[in-house]
Amino acid sequence: MRRGGAFRRPEMLLREKLWHVSWSFILLLSMVAGVGFLMLVSAANGNVDPWASRQMVRFGVGVGVMLVVGLVDIRIWMKHAYALYVIAAILLVLVELRGTIGMGAQRWIDLGFVQLQPSEVMKISLVLALARYFHGANLQEVGRPVFLIVPLLMVLAPAALVLKQPDLGTAIMLILSSGGIFWLAGVRIWKFAVVFSASVAAIPVAWNFLREYQKQRVLTFLNPENDPLGSGYHIMQSKIALGSGGLFGKGFMLGTQSHLNFLPEKQTDFIFTMLAEELGMVGGLALLSLYTLVLIYGFAIAYRSRSQFGRLVALGVTTTFFLYVFINIAMVMGLIPVVGVPLPLISYGGTAMLTLMFGFGLVMSVYVHRDVQIGRRGAWDSG
Amino acid sequence: MSLFSLFGPAAEVPDAQRKSVETGHVRLIVTGALFMVAFSVIAGRMVDVMVLKGADSQPQRRLAQAVDHRMQRADIVDRNGVLLATSLPTVSLYAKPKEILDAGEASAKLLRVLPELSHTEVLNKLSGDRGFIYLRRNLTPRQQYDVNALGIPGLYFEDGERRVYPQGPLASHVVGMTDLDNKGIAGIEKTFDGALTGRQPLALALDLRVQTVLRDELRRAIADFSAVGATGVVMDVRSGEMLAMVSLPDFDPNAPSTATEEARFNRTTLGVYEMGSTFKLFNTAAALDAGIASPESMFDATNPIQISRFSISDYHSLKRPMSVAEILVHSSNVGSAKMAMSLGGERQKEFLGRLGMLRPVAIELPEVGSPLVPSPWREISTMTISYGHGMAVTPLHLASGVGALINGGWFRQPTLLRQDSQTPVPARRVVDDRTSKNMRKMMRMVVEEGTGGKADVPGYQVGGKTGTAEKAGGAGGYRTKSLLSSFVGAFPMSDPRYVVLVMVDEPHGTKESFGYATGGWVAAPPVSRIVAQIAPMLGIGPVLEAQAAIPVQKASTRERAIVAVE
Repeated sequence: MRRGGAFRRPEMLLREKLWHVSWSFILLLSMVAGVGFLMLVSAANGNVDPWASRQMVRFGVGVGVMLVVGLVDIRIWMKHAYALYVIAAILLVLVELRGTIGMGAQRWIDLGFVQLQPSEVMKISLVLALARYFHGANLQEVGRPVFLIVPLLMVLAPAALVLKQPDLGTAIMLILSSGGIFWLAGVRIWKFAVVFSASVAAIPVAWNFLREYQKQRVLTFLNPENDPLGSGYHIMQSKIALGSGGLFGKGFMLGTQSHLNFLPEKQTDFIFTMLAEELGMVGGLALLSLYTLVLIYGFAIAYRSRSQFGRLVALGVTTTFFLYVFINIAMVMGLIPVVGVPLPLISYGGTAMLTLMFGFGLVMSVYVHRDVQIGRRGAWDSG
Repeated sequence: MSLFSLFGPAAEVPDAQRKSVETGHVRLIVTGALFMVAFSVIAGRMVDVMVLKGADSQPQRRLAQAVDHRMQRADIVDRNGVLLATSLPTVSLYAKPKEILDAGEASAKLLRVLPELSHTEVLNKLSGDRGFIYLRRNLTPRQQYDVNALGIPGLYFEDGERRVYPQGPLASHVVGMTDLDNKGIAGIEKTFDGALTGRQPLALALDLRVQTVLRDELRRAIADFSAVGATGVVMDVRSGEMLAMVSLPDFDPNAPSTATEEARFNRTTLGVYEMGSTFKLFNTAAALDAGIASPESMFDATNPIQISRFSISDYHSLKRPMSVAEILVHSSNVGSAKMAMSLGGERQKEFLGRLGMLRPVAIELPEVGSPLVPSPWREISTMTISYGHGMAVTPLHLASGVGALINGGWFRQPTLLRQDSQTPVPARRVVDDRTSKNMRKMMRMVVEEGTGGKADVPGYQVGGKTGTAEKAGGAGGYRTKSLLSSFVGAFPMSDPRYVVLVMVDEPHGTKESFGYATGGWVAAPPVSRIVAQIAPMLGIGPVLEAQAAIPVQKASTRERAIVAVE
């Protein structure tokens, strides 16, 4: 029940904090990232450049960010949760107003040294803001429908902005990970049922708001063979590559479908297909096991947290991570429509990597400060 | 708040809050379980796709379907299935000018991608207020991509198909061509415009190998003798099937705009010509069939015939009576005219009518010419027609008529469609078997000892008849320098299978031909070369002459005729 006396003290020394960092979690993440480096080397036909080298630097930076974020007191994160959310919302509006066009969608703000993707910032700050909102709320409060109006707006406003970009994948992820937090905060199941039914009923209406290419993707998902040379091409090629992998795969750097460029986006969204083609079903399941371990860490940390805020943050980040994995792998295997979601820690790309490492930093902060108790208003409970 | 610090962590939480935490823990576990289920689904699908291949067979099968574009217009193939005409999917670029925002900008952008278009033309099209206008037909996929990338509103692509002729000009006059809207405008494409739908390709009687040989030899003859054109056919005398049909000059149906008027003219079926001495075959057969003469019957060819202001004479008169066989072998105009006179105009006309010479030939082409026949059919007509003047027919008339004379006497309509070898082709008897056999024998003699010697191929028993007609001039007379030199042959004469006709338009004598441009010098050598090449392709082997004597009614005819010549 009660842990060591040191944790009763509100402040920990940096040295103590370092001692409490879960280095095994960092090692686990490094292993996943290591798989990514290997696959990026393979995608470049055995060359570290142009992808693997940069990805390693990014992961290194990411681990640094994670440690710094993890060592910052959880209460500081809680204190600034709303401020971060407001900043992310402003960035989202900014990108809407004067974003540069990249990949057909307005998603980036060019800061000069790095291209900032506000929707990624929003993924994390939304988790923080919701966690703060629900922190300390008891079941009676959560049970009042009026109490849920504010957090619903907090979710739907950025989701609408992201959808307008248009970025269907991120909008879905925002809504689903928020749903996870609502769920954990104790919102009644029947309310989810109502929202779900309403969403289903709204599909015909929403259909009209989808862009032509998004409609095309959904239709292609429902029948990929409809258009095997157009929108269905990715999925058809992906399935062929997966099927050709077999039990043990064709061997590292020997995947024909990916190396002969039948497989598009092999270093980014479809990297799992290349992995499965070269390392086979065994390789694919092994990676899935590593991801499962990461999820277990996230859940254990959430479970172990004494503060509601910490629990909700850990679960929110873990859910986001889960959604990345699930949506990406389900997409390349044709279980769901093609949406541009990378495979976390493995796909080439800096934004998602930094987002996730920042999120894992928060999880780490929850772990390091697992026994810190936080008052309902987030004050330092020095007693 | 101060309350919290009084109690231990478990106890200090009020009931409501503890319940909240417990609910949180339960829900945390439920969430984790849900995630595990989701991962299990993914893992299961991975096993299914990668090892069990549950989803593997379906994409493969449907991929094949995707390549299988459904074309509106059926393919045309030769008798062995070689592609002559097919359809490819294409896209055409069109505009709805009303939707174009800035015609100037749009046309400038478009010109960057499609530089071959004219700027003013595109601008005019885009500025107009028509609802629909084509900008360019048949874009390549690359061009389509580029135009699409311009992102000009108001431009659209129309899926269509384009007719492609993989053999180019090789069978252009037979296959014909289509216009921009894929409507047949010539040849088989026009005749079967309505029927060329669906998936089943239309199989022609043509054998592309034979067609190639024939066309090559005709081109060579044109080159050798500086001729203006040539035509030829190879016909199966047992079915009427045209194995080859060439008219030169010809054109590339893939680029119809480059075809000249002359190149589009089908000499084989549309052109009518006075055939000259090859017509003596019909004259002879008519006389034999009517029973007024036998191969050894004698006609006096000593002197030229004077009739009113005309004079009929021979090139190399023997100045003595000649047998029917001799008249053919030496191509005597005087003898032929005498023979025709004893037959009479009525019977001559009736006989030519039996061979289909008085009507357009019934072949599956829109380009068929009507024979020019004298009216009234006077005595002088009867005499000139006997040696192929005063009446004009198409080369196809000549080939199909000769085929009927030598195949046992059965006339069959020439056809461009492949015939089913099981069902017999309808045939009409035109001469009796005995006449047919005599004709075969005499045609063989023309090659063995007469004017057609250069058509011979050892072992293949080529028989035939030369023809050299003077082309009719503009003023109603004849131009002695403008010749139409031909050879109509058949092989093997012991049991003829194929008629080969070669006709060269306005050949000029060469040093090698000692200045001659007659059928025997110009058209017989190509026939020889054609037979030598196509006989093995068609499964006919060479035989020793002794083993394949032509069965004749009277074995002595030939010897006697030769004696008479000597």
